[in-house]
Amino acid sequence: MIHVGGMAQPEVERRERAWVRDAQRGSAAALEHLFRAHWPRAYRAALVVVGDAAAAEDIAQESFLAAVRALDRFDRGRPFGPWLHRIVVNRSIDWARARTLRRELDAGSAPEPAAPTRELAGRAGELAAALSELGPEHRAVVVLRYLLEYTPGEIAELLDLPRGTVNSRLRRGLDRLEEALRNE
Amino acid sequence: MNDRRVKRLLDSVPVDRDAEERTWAVVRAAFAEHEPVRRAPRLRWAVACAALAVVVAAAALSPPGRAVVDAVRRTIGVEHAAPALFRLPAPGRLLVSGSGGTWVVAADGSKRRLGGWQQASWSPHGLFVIAATANQLAAIEPGSGDVHWSLARPRIAYPRWGGSRIDTRVAYLSGDRLHVVAGNGQGDAAIELAAHVAPAWRPGDRHVLAFVTAQGRVRVQGVWTSSVYAHPRALAWSPDGTVLALATAKRVVLFDAVTGRAREIPVDRVSALAYARNGRLAVLRDRAILEIGGEGVSTLFSWPGRLSGLAWSPNGRFLLTSLPGADQWIFVSGRRVLAVSHIAEQFGGVPSLDGWMPGP
Repeated sequence: MIHVGGMAQPEVERRERAWVRDAQRGSAAALEHLFRAHWPRAYRAALVVVGDAAAAEDIAQESFLAAVRALDRFDRGRPFGPWLHRIVVNRSIDWARARTLRRELDAGSAPEPAAPTRELAGRAGELAAALSELGPEHRAVVVLRYLLEYTPGEIAELLDLPRGTVNSRLRRGLDRLEEALRNE
Repeated sequence: MNDRRVKRLLDSVPVDRDAEERTWAVVRAAFAEHEPVRRAPRLRWAVACAALAVVVAAAALSPPGRAVVDAVRRTIGVEHAAPALFRLPAPGRLLVSGSGGTWVVAADGSKRRLGGWQQASWSPHGLFVIAATANQLAAIEPGSGDVHWSLARPRIAYPRWGGSRIDTRVAYLSGDRLHVVAGNGQGDAAIELAAHVAPAWRPGDRHVLAFVTAQGRVRVQGVWTSSVYAHPRALAWSPDGTVLALATAKRVVLFDAVTGRAREIPVDRVSALAYARNGRLAVLRDRAILEIGGEGVSTLFSWPGRLSGLAWSPNGRFLLTSLPGADQWIFVSGRRVLAVSHIAEQFGGVPSLDGWMPGP
């Protein structure tokens, strides 16, 4: 599903397997190849789900750190991308849920909010605004389908959801986007 | 709306290249510290450790072996130690927790067990104790151990209570998530992923919480967030709330509470920090207690054995630490050193030092 630098998918997977193998043997250069290949999508995915640039940076960073910690156990027969994307998307959903809880707490007598968020501007801001009425789980499905290019079946597997739920969330996400962008 | 337009929109979301470089620096550093698995040497090492453990256990269980262990203990422990904690050398109440439960020790040496809690800390004015087992958090009465409220959450660590006399909050970790719950046990909420470092409430009536994020940034909620620090160990506020101290594996960092401006002190291997009520900052570094002051770093106490835990007496005259290898507590006041032995026997296990609070 992932296309890196215009290469065909089998070639991408072959190179990634080699990078993973070399990184497992201690090559920082191989790890950097993996990092550079996956950072833009990991960061964008987190950004669209949480709508906060600082949080997206933290989530993407934390996901790569989790990948480094688990590198020794990683099965080289599997593709690296879906493994990383699952971490990014699940952490983004968790973060977005926690923020919702924090806001509810703030409404009563509760601690002050976290550090000011870095608001999104331009097209990203419009997109975030359009998607903001959807729950993080819906946004995650949209991201997995249209940014990370997974099929609905693969998304169902990644998020441990029924296929029908994935389809309905995609439909609702698209409807919401269409409605919001029509009003621009 | 067609699929291609959605994809174009998502692909147009800008990528922060500065964030990419910051993250790569952190990931590269983590990778540099990460050792690739080498299974055979690990197995050999495990076998060697197991063999050593068998030899040590056999030695310790035999009468001559016990004599050797006792001799070592005498060597690393402080001589002329009191055989029991007859009294505290300064006024106040000491809170300790461990495998033998949570205890409050009064100045006259009397001890009250509050229950089978494994960790605890005082409420801001010492009116209550917030205590926890692995899966339960509870507000308890320090005089009786009565439970006011409790909350079941998985893998609880570092409960910390802050706020004013009438409006308080408790922060704690549940797994790798920071939680905050009101002082009456209501409104518990997960805030965000956090590092395994005790959160710290800024002294005073406002609810300002400092903690270390999962990425290693120090965050003072609603005020500032620092850059990333590797291997964070402990956080502590100065009593006037103007300085936040962070201990990491390589340095101690003093942050300005308002601006977040950092001053780094190159002291490594610090495991605990404690501010006295008069503003003195002591840190525990392996086998020494150091003081960080305006004129630099000075040694208050050092010993051949490893030290653990740090607590100032409420009057700021004594520092308490423990010497687990000798089963002793050590009270230090200038050149005066008072030791107490047989701590594990008195508390049903070696306890951690959870705070020394003025009397009720």
